[in-house]
Formats: sequence, C-alpha cells, structure tokens
Amino acid sequence: MRKQIKNGSSSLLLLLLIFPCFVFAQTITGKVNDNKGTTVPFANVIQKGTTNGTTTDMDGNFSIDVESLPTVLVFSSLGYTTVEQNVTSAGPVSVTMAESAEALSEVVVTALGISREKKSLGYATQEVKGEAISTVKSQNFVNSLSGKVAGLDIKSSGTLGGSTNVVIRGSSSIAGNNQALFVIDGIPVNNSTNNSKDQTTGRGGYDYGNAASDINPDDIASINVLKGAAASALYGSRASNGVIMITTKKGKQRKGVGVTLNSSLMVGYADISTLPRYQTKYGAGYGPYYGTNEDGYFNDFEDINGDGVADLTVPFTEDASWGGEFNPSQNIYQWTSIYPQLSTFGQATPWVAAENNPNYVWGASTTAINSVSIDGGSDTSSFRLGYTNMLQEGNLPNSSIKRNSINFNGSQELSDKFTVSTSFTFTKTDGQGRYGTGYDSNNVMQQFRQWFQTNVDVKQQRDAYFATRENITWNTQSGTDLRPIYSDNPYWTFYENYETDTRKRYYGNAVLNYELNDWLSLMGRFAFDTFSELQEERTNVGSANVSQYKRINNNVSEYNYDLFLNFKKDLSEKLNLDGNIGFNLRRNEWSRFEAATNGGLNLPGVYTLDNSASPLGADNLTEYEAVQMVDGLFGRVSLGYDNFAFVEGTYRTDRDSSLPIDNNRFNYWSATGSLVFSNLIDANWLSFGKVRANYGVVGNGTDPYQVFTTYTIQSPFGGVGSASNSPSLKNLNLLPEEQENWEVGLEMQFAKKRLGFDVTYYDALNINQITDVPVSNATGYTSVLLNAGTISNKGWEVQLNATPLKTDNFSWDLSLNWSKNESLVVELTDGIENLQLGSFQGGVSINATPGEPYGTIRGRDYVYHENGQRIVGANGRYLLSDESNVVIGDINPDWNAGLNNSFNYKNFNLSFLLDMQKGGEVFSLDTYYGFGTGLYDFTAADNELGNPLRDPVADGGGILFEGVNEDGTPNTTRAEMTGAGRFGYNQPNAAHVYDAGFIKLREASLTYNLGERALAQLPFNTVSFSVIGKNLWIIDKSVPYADPEAGLSAGNIQGNQSGSYPSIREIGASLKLQF
Amino acid sequence: MKRIVISIISIMVLSSCMTDEKYEDYNRDPKNPTQVSANFLYNSAVKSLTDQMTSTNVNDNVFRLLGQYWTETTYTEESNYDLTGRNIPQRHWSEMYRDVLLDLTNAQQLVMEDESKSEGEKSAAFAQSEVLMIYTWQQMVDTFGNIPYTEALTDNKLPVYDDAATIYTDLINRLDAAIPNLTGSGFPGADVIYNGNGASWKAFANSLKLKMGLRIADVPSMQALSTSTVQSAVAAGVITSNAGNASFPYEGASPNTNPVWSSLVESGRADFVAANTIVDIMNTLEDPRRATYFRQNLGAGVYQGGIYGTTSNYFTNSQAADVMHDPTNPACLIDYAEVSFFLAEAAERSIVGTPADAEGHYNNAITASFDYWGAANVGDYLNNPAVAYTTASGDWREKIGTQFWLAMYNRGFEGWTAWRIYDAPQMNIPGDTENPVPFRYTYPVNEQNLNPTNWEAAAGAIGGDAQSTKIFWDVN
Repeated sequence: MRKQIKNGSSSLLLLLLIFPCFVFAQTITGKVNDNKGTTVPFANVIQKGTTNGTTTDMDGNFSIDVESLPTVLVFSSLGYTTVEQNVTSAGPVSVTMAESAEALSEVVVTALGISREKKSLGYATQEVKGEAISTVKSQNFVNSLSGKVAGLDIKSSGTLGGSTNVVIRGSSSIAGNNQALFVIDGIPVNNSTNNSKDQTTGRGGYDYGNAASDINPDDIASINVLKGAAASALYGSRASNGVIMITTKKGKQRKGVGVTLNSSLMVGYADISTLPRYQTKYGAGYGPYYGTNEDGYFNDFEDINGDGVADLTVPFTEDASWGGEFNPSQNIYQWTSIYPQLSTFGQATPWVAAENNPNYVWGASTTAINSVSIDGGSDTSSFRLGYTNMLQEGNLPNSSIKRNSINFNGSQELSDKFTVSTSFTFTKTDGQGRYGTGYDSNNVMQQFRQWFQTNVDVKQQRDAYFATRENITWNTQSGTDLRPIYSDNPYWTFYENYETDTRKRYYGNAVLNYELNDWLSLMGRFAFDTFSELQEERTNVGSANVSQYKRINNNVSEYNYDLFLNFKKDLSEKLNLDGNIGFNLRRNEWSRFEAATNGGLNLPGVYTLDNSASPLGADNLTEYEAVQMVDGLFGRVSLGYDNFAFVEGTYRTDRDSSLPIDNNRFNYWSATGSLVFSNLIDANWLSFGKVRANYGVVGNGTDPYQVFTTYTIQSPFGGVGSASNSPSLKNLNLLPEEQENWEVGLEMQFAKKRLGFDVTYYDALNINQITDVPVSNATGYTSVLLNAGTISNKGWEVQLNATPLKTDNFSWDLSLNWSKNESLVVELTDGIENLQLGSFQGGVSINATPGEPYGTIRGRDYVYHENGQRIVGANGRYLLSDESNVVIGDINPDWNAGLNNSFNYKNFNLSFLLDMQKGGEVFSLDTYYGFGTGLYDFTAADNELGNPLRDPVADGGGILFEGVNEDGTPNTTRAEMTGAGRFGYNQPNAAHVYDAGFIKLREASLTYNLGERALAQLPFNTVSFSVIGKNLWIIDKSVPYADPEAGLSAGNIQGNQSGSYPSIREIGASLKLQF
Repeated sequence: MKRIVISIISIMVLSSCMTDEKYEDYNRDPKNPTQVSANFLYNSAVKSLTDQMTSTNVNDNVFRLLGQYWTETTYTEESNYDLTGRNIPQRHWSEMYRDVLLDLTNAQQLVMEDESKSEGEKSAAFAQSEVLMIYTWQQMVDTFGNIPYTEALTDNKLPVYDDAATIYTDLINRLDAAIPNLTGSGFPGADVIYNGNGASWKAFANSLKLKMGLRIADVPSMQALSTSTVQSAVAAGVITSNAGNASFPYEGASPNTNPVWSSLVESGRADFVAANTIVDIMNTLEDPRRATYFRQNLGAGVYQGGIYGTTSNYFTNSQAADVMHDPTNPACLIDYAEVSFFLAEAAERSIVGTPADAEGHYNNAITASFDYWGAANVGDYLNNPAVAYTTASGDWREKIGTQFWLAMYNRGFEGWTAWRIYDAPQMNIPGDTENPVPFRYTYPVNEQNLNPTNWEAAAGAIGGDAQSTKIFWDVN
C-alpha cells in the first residue's frame, strides 16, 4: 500500500502540505522468516522511537528509508513474538520471528476481571473488539452488538432512546430478570429497565431505556461475552444470565501524550417499508349508519356555518376510515370548519383523501457523537481521560437525547510490589420528548396505525397547532363540542404532552494490588455504581387524557467490596498452577418516589404537584426503599499441563439478604477442562485445535421483600384509613434458585488461521425458580411466590471465520455467528397448567406452559377443518375458536445469525454486517385494529371480480375469504365488507400473528486510513475517515408495515406490537484523528 | 506469611460483621405495613364491593349492558355479549374474592384477635362483616353458579368448587347466626353505610335473607327452606323505607368518586347511550322516571334508545341522566323498592300474606322508586292501566318483573337478574352478533389454567361452562 502512495499523485499533494520535509539518507532492505523457515507476510516494520515504518510484502520482503545508521528496527506481527534488531548496514537484513505462544491463545478478560489465556478456558467466550462497536456507533451501544455474538439476542424497542433487551442463550428465569449482567473493568453496573408494567404490556407510558446505554462506546477497548454458568460462576448469583464484560481503554506507555479525536454524524430517516401505506378511497366512519336516519356516512344534525340549517359533517368521533367514498365534488364540514380560532371556520371542504398522510410527521434525525481522549504513560504509570458528547435529535418533533460523559483511568506503581489504579466515569443523560408507547393517546402511532381518518391532513393539523397552540384535534366530541374524544392533535402531543428526564450516573473503582512474593499477590477493590434520575411526564389541560403531571425519582446504587488473594506458580516445568481465593460483599440500594397529580391540573401548562385539582392520596404516590446485601467467599484453582491440557474448578458460597433467614446461605461450583490437541498433532494444515467441556451450577437469590406479606395502604375513604391485602402472597420458605449448565465445545483453525470454526453445544436447566405464580383468585390472591418451575435451554452456537482471499493489496475476511436456542418450560407447580407472563389488549397473552417453549402467544384461533383449512361461517367470515386461550404463536426464533464481510484494499476497508433471524412470532395490535378500521391500502382494494370489496355483496362487492365450509367444501360465500372490523378485530387473534423473521443489512462502513508514509509527514499518528450506515435495508420480512423487531420494552414480555415505531435508516460519516 | 494471615483474618471480619438477623431486617419493607387495623380492611372491602357492583367500565363489569339499560355507541363487543375479549368474568371474580372477601375475612379475624374489644363489640363486628360477605357470596353464586366456597380463601391453591344450592343453604344459616348479633356498630367510625346503626343492619340482613329465600322458591328440593327463610326474614323486619337503603356515599375527588362518573365524565369518552330496550318500554308506559333516568338531549320529553347491540349515535339517542354524571351520586347495595317487589312476590307465592296483598307491595315498590329518583306523578302512573297491578298485562311474574326491572335502572346486576327470575321484560337480541342474553358469566379463563381439574368438574356439574347455562335457581 505504501508504494502506491509514494508514486501516486496524492503523495504530491501531501508533499505540498508537509513540514518539515525529511530527507532520507539510507534504504534498508531485508526479509522476514519465521522459526520454521516460512516467510512472514504483512509484518510491521517500525524504526524504533519514530513513527517511520512499513510492512513486509507477501514474500516477507521489506524496504525502509532511514535517516542514518545504525538504527533499531522493530518487527511485529500477529502470532509472533516482537523482535528488535540492531541494523548497522543497509542490508539485506535477515530477520527470524518466533511464533508466540500467546498468539494462538489470545488473552481474554474473564469473570471478576481476571485475564486468562483463551486457550486455557474450558468454556465458550466471544470477544468483540472496540472498533466493531465504535465505527458505526449507536446511541445505545448495546444495539451495536446485534449479530456480532453467537447466542446473544439483542432486541431494541425501536423508540428514541428506548431500551434494548439483552438475553444470552435464551430466557433462563420464568418470571425474574433474564437480562445479561454488564461488568465494566470488574465493576458490575446496573442495567435495569425501570419501565412500568403498563408500559411493558402495551398500556402506554414511556420507554426510558436500559441503564447500560450510559456506557460510552468510545471508551470501550473490547467486550467479552461469558455465556454459561461455568464462565460466570465466580460472579455468583446474578451471573446466571451470562455476562457482558467490558474492558475500557487505558493509557499506554508512550512518549508524551496521545490525543484521539473521534467525530461522527449520522442522519436517519424512517424506513418506509416499516410504516403504514394508507388507502386513499374512503374517509372517516365505521360504516353507513350516521345522520338522523342512521343510514348515511355523514352526520346532519349540527349547524356549522351558522345559517340555521343543519350541515353535513364528518362523524368527528369516529376514528376509523370505513366511511364515505371520496368525492371531490362533495363538500363536507370537516374538523377545519369547526374551530372558530381557525381561518377556515365555517367552511366546508371537498371530500378527498389527505394530501399529507400521517407519515408526514417523520422527519430526519441527527446523531452527532464527538469525543476526545488524552492518554499517556511511563514505566510506572498510565492514564487516559476521555470526554464524549452525544447529541441526538429524534425523527419526531421536539425529541432529543443528550449525553455527556467523562471517563478517567489511571494507574501508578508505588513500588515494585504495590500498584494502585482507579477508574471513574460520570455520565449525564437528558431526554426530552421520548416517544409515547403502547395503547395511549400520547403515542401518536396509536392513532396513525390503528385509529385514524384518512381524510385528515397531518400537515394541516400541524399548521393548526402552530397557529393556535391549542389542541385542534380532528377527533372531537362533535362539531360543536370541541373537546377531544380519543385522539389529540399529534403536534399537541409532541409539543405539550412531552416528557423530560435526566439521569446522572457515577461509576468507578479503586484497586490496590500488592505482590506478596513472586507467586502470590493480594488485590483489594472497591467499586461503585450509582445513579439518580428524574422523569417528568406531562399531559396538558385540553388533552383527551385527564391532564396530569407526574414525576418519578429513582436512586439506584451498587457497591462492591472485593478482596482477592491471587496465586500463580509453576509446580514443575510442565505443571502450572494458578487461582485465587476471595471475598465479595455487594450492597444494592434502591429508592423510588413517584407522585402524580390527582384528577387533573388546575392551571394549564403548570407542571407541579401543587397544581393538582384534587389532593394527592395513596393512589397518586408510590414509595419504594430497599437494600439488598449479598456476601460471598469463593475460590478458583486452575492447573495447566505443558501448555495444552487444563483443568479448573471454582467454588462459591453466598449469603443473600433477599432470602428467608434459614435459607439465605447457598453454595455452588463449576469444573472445566480443555485440551489443545493441535499441540499433539504435527500437521501444517492445522493451526489450532481445542476441545473443551464444563459443568457449572449457579445459585441465585431474588429481589427484596419476597418473604413477608404486607398490606397495601389506599387513599382514605370517609375520613377513615383504608388498606387491602397484597395481591401477591409472599413466602417464608423460599429457597435459592439454581441453574445447572453443561457445555462442550470444539475450536479449530486451519491454514494459518485462514479458516476456522468454534462450535458449542450447551444445556442449561434452571430449577427452583422463584416465581410469582398466578393462582386461582378464589384463594384471595392473584399470585403466590413459590419455588416453582423448571426451564430448560439447549442450543448450538457456531462461529466461523474465513479469509477467502488474501493478496498483497487485497484481503477478504468473513465471519459468521449462528446460534439456535431451544427453550422448554419443563414444569411449573402442581396443578397449574399455564403461567401468564403478560396480557395484552385484544385478549392476547404471553405465556409459560409446561411442555412448550417459554413465551407462547395465546389468544383466539381460527377453527380448522380436519383437512387443515380454515373454516368460514355462513356469513362468509372466518369462524373464531370457542376457546380464547389457544396457542397461536411462539416468540422464540428458530435461529439467529450474523454475517460480517470485511474487504481490505490498500488503505480502504469496506465491511458490512447482515443480521438474520429465522422464525419467532409477534402479535400485532396495530393490524388487529388498523386493518379493522380500514386505514391500510389493501382494505380499499378491488375483489377478484374487479369490484370494490367495500361495496355490498349484492352489488358484486365483498370478499371471498380463503377457506372451507363446515363440510370441507371450498368457501363460496362472499363476506359483507360494508362495515369496519372485518379485516381486523372481527378476525381471530391468530390472523394478526406474524413471522418475526428478517434479514437486515444492519451495518456497513467504508473506511479510509491515511497511509503511514503520509502520516509521517503530518502531525497525526492515525487519520481515519469512514462513511457509515446503520439499519440500511430490511432485505426480507413478513410483518406488514412494521419492523419485525419493534417491541415495547426490554424485559420478559416480548412478542407484542402496539403503536410500534418504524425502523430508522441512518447514514453518516466519522473521522478519527490520533496525534 | 504474616500478611496472608492478616488478610485472611480481615476476610473473616468483613464476612461476619453482619448477622443473619440484620440481613433479615433488610428484607422487611419499611413502606408497606404487615399490620393494619380491622377498620382499614373493612373500609377497603366495602368500597371495592360497591365500586365493582356500580362500575360501568367495560373492563370491570357489563351489568348495565346485561340489563339492557344502556348500549355501546361505537365499540359494541360487550353489548354483543363478548365477555371474554376483555376477561370481564376474571375481573369480577378477582375483585370479589381478593378485594372484598379476603379483606372482610381478614378484618373479621383481626377484630376477633383484638383484646381491647369486648365480646359484644367483637360479635357485632363479626356479624356485620358476615352480612357483607354473604351478600358477596350470593352475588357470586348468582353470577357464576358453582364457585369455590369452603376451600376458597384458604391455603389451598387448588380450591374445589362447591355446589351452588349447598352454598345458598349455608349462607342462609350463616345469616341466621349473624342477625341476632347485629346490635351496634361493628366497625366504629368506618361504617359509611349505616353509621353504626344496628337496627338498619338487621333490616339489611333480613332483606338479604328475604331475597335469598325467594330466589330458591322454584327449586323443588328447597321449597321448605325457601318458605321458612322468607317468613322468618319478614317477621324479623326488612327495610321499610328508602331511609333504610344500603346506600354508599361517594365523594367528589378521585379515587373516591362514583365509578360511573369516571367512565362517563372523567374519561372524556362517549361510549354509552340508553338502549331501546328500556326507552321503548318507558315510552309506551309514558313513565315519568324518563326525565330522571335520561338527559333531555333530544329535546324536552323526547327519548330514544340506541338499537341494542348495534352501533349507535351518541347525539341522536338519549344519554344517561345528569345525576349519573355526578361523582358523588351514591351507590346502593339493597333498597326499599327491591324489598317491596320481593314482598309482592312473597304474597303472590302465598309465603307471606296472600296474592291479594301483592298489589299494595307493588305500589309501594314503584312509589319507592319514584321517591328515590325524585320523579313526579306516581299516582297517575299507578293508575295507568298498563302499570296498575290489576290491569297490567301478563301474570304476576311479568308484572313484577317488568316494574322491578324498570326500578333497577341504576343497579344493572339486579336488572339482569330480574329478567332471569321473572323472564320479563322481553330483552332484545344484540344486533351485531345475535348472541343470546347470557344466563351467567363463564368462569374466568385463568381458572382453566390455574385450577383446571376443579374447573372441569364444576363445568360438568352445572351443565357446561357456557353463558347459556342457567343458575340452579333458574328452573323456569
């Protein structure tokens, strides 16, 4: 690559720019071989102490210009030990590089921040480099992991700043937390999603995101994912869902200080394939039953223009588009005519489809992420200080997320034996106008996807709002009673009923390390993670909902105190021992205060609790205070034989304050083994081969307050206090949960690692699940806490890497992650046949049922004939099953895959990531209602006779649903489609369950790195420019008019779309400068 | 080595610095009490009971639609008797068991354990909570048929369903045991219904007993019990005026408002209009109560009901009266009009008095209803040949049934039940689905999942878990 620049015109340009111009006096040539005599291509050759350097070609040859001789050249290459060679003459120089042991066994960070040689591990881990998530950055870095790790399921809810569900190897807990544990530099950090139950089940509310989104992608050096119990056993109880270990960037030993600047800007647009396509033939109404005679499409009993005669008006209350056929020559009094404050007051307008349908609201988003870091280091100390500013303006009006974070890492050797280090991060995140979610008028997608009039022009709604700053809705009580009935003006929602939130977060640690002797060291560590957040929600006076101000204060803290004694000793030349014993004390604190006004606001636009229309009572106030303590003693011993055979054991004993006093201590252990068999086989084709196996058990406590049953205090009535039994009966005899997990794996690399794979099979069984088991309400309780239920997850994970092409200037690298998880609810508790995880509107629920996968969708099904066809009734419509509790879907995908291609040509890199999900299902409330209300294009299509399907059957309209009669003969009865509902809520729920599979072009980037020669003449060490794209193309999907991944919130309740948001396609550029 | 010893010691010190007891204290919720007074639970239970019986929120109950007093405007699933789409039976079931019966049972236990109370105070409180529990149990049987009773509200997670008639018998026995003890205020300060008036509680209890006795009058095996129950109830004294109504006073501010206000006013929605079922009958009878039951939104004296079960325009049909839009409109658990109709029935059945006495009770009942609603001209109405007991059409069942149903306008459950008992008036078949009027609620869907064996047995015992299955007393 360097040669090209030397000769190219760009070098001329650079020559003009550079100062001072060096004159090279000598050219050194030479060749690099390894200790087996093969040449080493693409090795780095650097003149020591300078930035002058080159690389060897395919045959190991190199040539480098130096100012003077003698000099020292440093040769480095992945898989080889770095060599420094004194050069006294121009050459040719012959260099021999030894294959390094480390090369074939990368060092990875494992549980508790312990660095280990990867080859010695008896369990699967998968590493993601920092660049893989910082090149194409996400506002929430967790989203960048999608498709990059086998067995890691990432699902973003799709709203601005919304939460991301992170599940490793399937859901292991029936009703508890299934989110992976995030650990930064050994500090467990909170990743809670504090969304309300209403929000997660689609009843409305905001998605405030998951706390891990505070982590700044620019500070991440690498991420390592620990998947199974054996890998994570040292974390104790809560690592049973797997661990995402993040290592942050540290300062390096170097001359002077290094400065890195990163800047990226992305612009995003709604992907039109994930938005509704509206029909343009019919307007407002549910059918022909308006007017005095209840037989028309319009009402006729209000005088709008003041002439004393009743006028023909739109049925203002009706949030459907199954009404009168558009007719430009017919003038109708519409919403524009009923507001005296509008210039169009009293004027009828032609009955036509809106020029601007609801997709008009979708503007461009911008995400700018700028960061600067300074790092430096000497023999005894190092530091790195980073600052990042993220500013995201959402695609909807008045929405933004801002984040500022400062991160400091430093270490200092106080003596040969004593090292101190610290890390500290402060993050402040401010949100405004996060999108309302679920079935609520503060979610504009509720009206746009489910309940709307296609005659309403959204741009006119916008203009009306800005002209008046009032809730000029299309959906009033009547033409003269202008109070909103169901839907607000969307711009009123954006600008008046918005939320704001702010979260201040501090996390960090202090570590002392003392080497007692050459094989024994002591480490003490204190780590903390604490955040406080304020969320404020507003509904202004004049909205369809009762006006309200609501504020939520959350304070969450975690403190960890660790003391480790580490040992590492060679027992003989071939037998190596290492391990540790330690103590961990963890303290978690939660404090939540939630208050809302009662019965509305007195003064419009004044958002304080003082402005409550009625006094605040128990129903308007929520307080929660809790502390949880867990202490544990643990040990790990690892034995390695001759660098190719390894065994390891861990043991931990915990005491957890969330469990009853008699059962609060529990123990668990793991054993692993691995064999690097390639050391036993002398074959050129085999670069590396390893088999591994492990068995692990992890115990787990629960949340506070699951032991003692309490009463719930209610607002007083009649001046007397009021309280009720808790709906959930607690349990004085809870036992810890237990996960048993075994795993085997095979890893092989061929042809100098040009081709390789890593395959894992795992089998995890979770028993004694602490579950809030629903019980017959005749017990007086809704649920009882029990150790009930066993859930099993088995699956395969495959990683493939290949370099199909590699030449002097060009290389093509490919990596594939594929995983398949089979979840099975083995049993619940005696007599209980199903556990409902959540219930949605439309009579649909998400369930755990013995013998079925975790997360089945239940609802009303079709009725099937024995020939497998759906049965159509006498009215031509599908019959609905008598039972409303039939399994009609399964949220679990068949498999997930990520395929990354990376092409390097000279200084260019092009890479793109395909992210795939096969199978898995989702229920759409959007189509259940929206298809019924006739918003979508196909609901106004012609039938197979070529007649409008909404015409009466008698006139050749109606539709022939595919199916059979009760007797099995094909259906020939055309269904009447003159009224709303037929395509939607009149059909069984099963009609609105879709395959959630997809193929997406998730990320693509084209990067240009300035060549080293050019850099040598610039004040920079690195200049890198990228054009980047995210969520570029949904290549294939089955969910109509929506993103199959769109959901409501992180958590166990998935598989439901209600007022869902479109996928945002983002493109942009980023620049990285290092000097 | 010394350092190692020191560090190990420090581990031990850290590890043991907190006792298990301290850990247990962390697990005690400082914000939610484990002890409350019986008054709190009683207060909550009574409000839960009246809220649930009064509400018209389609997620809570649909009794006003089952009685066909109202019909829905645009979203007509519930008017068409699709009760499972919103899990309405489940909601009713859980409210009654969890928020009424368990809290009352618990209040009863706390009172009995309260050493500061005298034996008399304890027995009065016990009896008062008994009356409300019996009221609730009877309502549940009348809604579902067989229900978990003996094993309900116990540690048993899979409670067996008891035979509905057997439950009735037991409830009557429990009433008999409770009534003598209703001597004063069981829950001083917390009795918003009768303010501690023991005599009123006795009249309530006897009226409830009268109702239960009559309900089983047609069950062949229970006729002796029916007769003795009705006779002893009337002899002991039932409610004799509207002053004795079990009235529940709502307040002006959330969450203590009448739940009907929440649905009609606070929600900002326009979901209900009067149904043609009641408006047509009242129009025919020129019933003066129309002016108090409905708004005059179609003009003075003009009343029209939406065709039951089809989409209906909010503006071209009569809307519920302004009083029902008042957050402080009281609710009622039992009233004098209802009791008087029962006395008319008891007379017709010659259990108490003779058929000749029926007319007097009938007129009392209608007068009580007019008085309650503040309607005028009851005298003219009673003289209307279509109303007058001697000339109104049909047998005593139809006469009493129609007027009983008309009087129960604000008590949907009783209106629906009147139709089930007296087979009058003629209800409409809902327009959209043509589903017949249900005779009962189906069991909650979650009973199928959570108590499957007992659910299956109960479904079999009552003749199928369907809306068309009749309650045991509905033998005609």
